[in-house]
Amino acid sequence: MKAPFTALAAVVLAVVLAGCSASNMARPGDDGEPRLYSNNSTLANRLSVEALQDKKVGDLLYVQATLENGWKFELDFQYKIKWFDRDGFEVAPESQPWRQLVMAGRSQNNVQAVAPNPSAVRYEIWVRE
Amino acid sequence: MVRVFSLLALAMALVLSGCASRVDYGDAQARETVTADFGSTDLQMIATKMVDDMMVFPPIVEMTRDRRPVLFVDRIKNKTSEHIDTESVTDTIQSKLINSGKFRFVDMSVVDRVREQLEYQQDSGMVDQASAAQMGRQIGAEFMLYGNLSSIVKRDDSTKDVYYKFTLKLLNIQSGIIEWSGEKEIRKTRKRSLFGF
Repeated sequence: MKAPFTALAAVVLAVVLAGCSASNMARPGDDGEPRLYSNNSTLANRLSVEALQDKKVGDLLYVQATLENGWKFELDFQYKIKWFDRDGFEVAPESQPWRQLVMAGRSQNNVQAVAPNPSAVRYEIWVRE
Repeated sequence: MVRVFSLLALAMALVLSGCASRVDYGDAQARETVTADFGSTDLQMIATKMVDDMMVFPPIVEMTRDRRPVLFVDRIKNKTSEHIDTESVTDTIQSKLINSGKFRFVDMSVVDRVREQLEYQQDSGMVDQASAAQMGRQIGAEFMLYGNLSSIVKRDDSTKDVYYKFTLKLLNIQSGIIEWSGEKEIRKTRKRSLFGF
């Protein structure tokens, strides 16, 4: 009687601890490239990047991402574009704020951002609750 | 009797630990919704939106292609009923614009102290004139940044709804033409919970 109880307790503990962990995950797009980064797997599984476009405005990189909420309920979350220079250094990390977004269930939203300066050549889209 | 004392000691320890205060560092960019009043999240949203809008406006892109125009920040008129440090908003916008490498600024809030320093360098006899900064060599600002922050507040017994509108304009000082204008709207609603907590 005692052994099954102990096993059950171990499983519950493992589930609880897994729930507390915050490992980063990257959700890939259709091309297999990572598109959406998060340390919240539930949120990352409900959101997807349907389209990703970028262009140069002057010498600044300008990004538009079409986010889709695949969940049937409203999603209230924050997103941030992290910018990186040619050498992989993050550009102005503290000046890029997390931006609020509320998306209705099963809807799409375009989010846009401009690179903080011309040294940014690559970007990542991060989401959190 | 011993058990009673032990219980009392335990209860006392719990009460005292409950009174202890604790200080933690938090994420400066975390969503701040303590009240419906103007807060740090609003400031960050406004500054980011204004700078992004300005940077992609085609005439501004053209204007900053080969040169870095000089701007000065006038002020943001606070037309809300709250006490809001609007200079903090313009400081953030100014920092982002400078760090973009597209604009330069003159700071009108330090003019008196700069004049004192120039007079010291010129007249005190303490400074080698070969390295002293010269009077009349400052660069005049070409554009002025200014704007308004207004709000509409509605409330009933259980709900408070606040609507903020931030407007920023870039004016050509010589021609008087507004070259760019940006707006950011924010709506915040605070609802009292069922039991009034």
